[in-house]
Amino acid sequence: MTTFKKTILLLSFTLIYINSKAQQPNKILNLVYSKINKANNYSVDVNIKVDLPFIKMLPINAKIYFKQKDKFKVDSKSIAIVPKQGFVQLTKLINDTNAFTAMYQSSESINGNKISLINVIPLSDTGDVVLGKLWVDEKQQVIIKSQITSKQNGTILTTYEYGKYIDFGLPDVMVFEVDIKKFKIPKAVAADINTTQKKEAEKVGKKGKIIIKLTNYLVNKGISDYVFTK
Amino acid sequence: MDNNFKIVEVNGLVKNYGNFCAVKNVSFDVYRGDVFGFLGPNGAGKSTTLRTILSLIRPSSGVIKLFNKDLHTHRNFILSKIGCIVEKPDFYKYLSAEKNLEIFARISGISVNKKKIHEVIEFVGLKGREKHKLSGFSHGMKQRLGIAQTLIHNPELIILDEPTTGLDPQGIIDIRNLILQLKNEQGKTVVLSSHILSEIELIANRMIIINKGETVVQGNVAHLLSSQELIVSFTIDNVEEAKKILYKSQFANQIESFSATTILFHTSKQSIPQINKLLCDYNILISSIETKRKLEDYFLKLITN
Amino acid sequence: MFFKNTYNELLKIAYKPRSYIGIGGITIIFSLILFALKLDGQFYISIITGQFEQSLSFEGNILNGNLIAFIILQMLIIHVPLLIAFVTGDMISGESAMGTIRLLATKPISRSNILLSKFLASCVYTLIVIICLIIMSLVLGKLLFGNGDLIVLKSEGLIVFQEQDIIWRFFYGFLIAFLSLVTVATLSLTLSCFSENSIGPIVSTMGIILLFTIIGTLEVPVFDNIKPFLFTTHMAAWRYFFDDPLSISQIIYSIAILVAHILFLLCVALYKFNKKDILS
Repeated sequence: MTTFKKTILLLSFTLIYINSKAQQPNKILNLVYSKINKANNYSVDVNIKVDLPFIKMLPINAKIYFKQKDKFKVDSKSIAIVPKQGFVQLTKLINDTNAFTAMYQSSESINGNKISLINVIPLSDTGDVVLGKLWVDEKQQVIIKSQITSKQNGTILTTYEYGKYIDFGLPDVMVFEVDIKKFKIPKAVAADINTTQKKEAEKVGKKGKIIIKLTNYLVNKGISDYVFTK
Repeated sequence: MDNNFKIVEVNGLVKNYGNFCAVKNVSFDVYRGDVFGFLGPNGAGKSTTLRTILSLIRPSSGVIKLFNKDLHTHRNFILSKIGCIVEKPDFYKYLSAEKNLEIFARISGISVNKKKIHEVIEFVGLKGREKHKLSGFSHGMKQRLGIAQTLIHNPELIILDEPTTGLDPQGIIDIRNLILQLKNEQGKTVVLSSHILSEIELIANRMIIINKGETVVQGNVAHLLSSQELIVSFTIDNVEEAKKILYKSQFANQIESFSATTILFHTSKQSIPQINKLLCDYNILISSIETKRKLEDYFLKLITN
Repeated sequence: MFFKNTYNELLKIAYKPRSYIGIGGITIIFSLILFALKLDGQFYISIITGQFEQSLSFEGNILNGNLIAFIILQMLIIHVPLLIAFVTGDMISGESAMGTIRLLATKPISRSNILLSKFLASCVYTLIVIICLIIMSLVLGKLLFGNGDLIVLKSEGLIVFQEQDIIWRFFYGFLIAFLSLVTVATLSLTLSCFSENSIGPIVSTMGIILLFTIIGTLEVPVFDNIKPFLFTTHMAAWRYFFDDPLSISQIIYSIAILVAHILFLLCVALYKFNKKDILS
């Protein structure tokens, strides 16, 4: 186990100790997962709005296909920019309770709902995800916010808004907060003319958002595997 | 047709290239129906003068009028009445003979149809070669096509700059005949330049000789070349003896020079038998008598110099 | 007479073998680029998306006909001027070298008209080359790589243009590219008036483009004042149409500079050609 993970674990245990009303995080996550699991497969129309530094694009429409356990496909005629993690990784993370350690960190009340913050630490070193922080609405049994830290892809904070498909744990809106570390490309590669180099400060470290609105869910109507391979 | 009408009037033409004066105050007239010879050794200024008449070169000074109009102010009108070959008959090598003529005909000022093109091609003896690319043409064939090009828009004046240069003897004869045909059958006015006097003599009726940019002589060819004044060279066995006899005779003032075996006279055609008889009377053996016209002699000296 | 001679000039271009060297050259370069991109296109895409790969995933047909056309245009803007100059640099000097200028200049058409008709024919040739570019880049690109949105990589970041927002950009882009190539054509035509052989104007044109491009690229403050006035700086002005928002003032400025160059060069060519003694 890496030093980083050890620190996180220690921190989590400390928090658990402090919290006199210790909860059962695995149970909460199981409930969440079983809700998500209700949707064996689904397709959904998505509208992706990219609001990221260094990227200019208009909102686009696409279709997302999902099939348990981890078949996932963005079908888009337009170019779609989506976070590297966020759709599959989360369910992948919590689908096997033996593969992670879940720790209850705290609970708070948001809009009258009881929200539990649960830290999820994978037991294996080989996986990409290092730490998952999940804000779970215990009553609705859905994740309303997640923060996934991975080795390769950094940290992505996602918030979820639910509507008609809350029974399947499927959100209507997902907002990803993405950290774009820096942007620098050789002048020769860029399609610029006469653009004097902007100050470096403008090009370093900015946060952005990707807002995905999901509509027209078709849940458990059956999706051919071919969809995911084409 | 008024044969006293001046088709070309050149007055005081001067052309300088920097400090070098290529044409110095040349003046001449060409009348309607003339075949006008422009004679001079290489570098005499013939081409420069002709190019100036064709507006290829701007004169430094002087007045050029064609068809009684100033070249400078009526350039396009004048050029529409002229057909010319300057120096070499160069065409677009990648085009056929017919296409070349079509291209030049289109900008000749009149509308020219295919029939006319085929007519002129036939006239210059290139029938059957219409579709052939110029890259396969010999110099003689190009020269003929050049003449076809000058005729395509039926011009009044034809200017040919050294049209026989580089041709074989038969080619020279053919071109010469073509020019005479143009004058005699179509009544064209022709200005042609050459450095060969005999060529001019055979086809021109009027001529000008220029050298180093200056006019040497001009006038009627028949008058200038059939002049009574001849340079007569007697090759004999005893020049010293002949000298004594001749200085005492009526021909003393006609002696031009002596060499080891020859005596040159500047004399008339009628005097030749009398000189011959005189020398024979004194038993001087004559091995040859050669005559040259004075102008021809002068021109040969120009060329050899 | 002007249009008759323009027709003549177009005929000459059409029959001249060298006119096809340019178009043939473009075809070969195109085929090579298309072949390379078909095999190795992902490498190019990773150049574009590499900066964001850590956190973002790009879905959809990125390597599509529009991107191919954009890449090809970007690459060919260096080569096409040479191919244009190859024909237009020969317009006057080639006639001098061949000797046909003597015949041409003794026809009842003013020298200004001769030159302007050659200029117009050069423009038509340039337009044909541009149309070939369009056919080969956009049409062939779309046939081989399909349609899709266009990702443009700029030093400030990426811009993604939606498929339906691209064609008009290419249309105006090609118009500006046409204008910049006409500038090159006019330059070589002008230089052609000063020469008796066709190699001189072609080499000089490329030399000038190269020199101006180097001056434009050098980050030396001394040149900063002249850079905005060099036509080479504006030869890539077609890219302004792949900017968001459009910089109208920059587009107008580039057009003005290119048109000013064309007019100035034409005036020089007209002066020279009218004054020229034809001695060839």
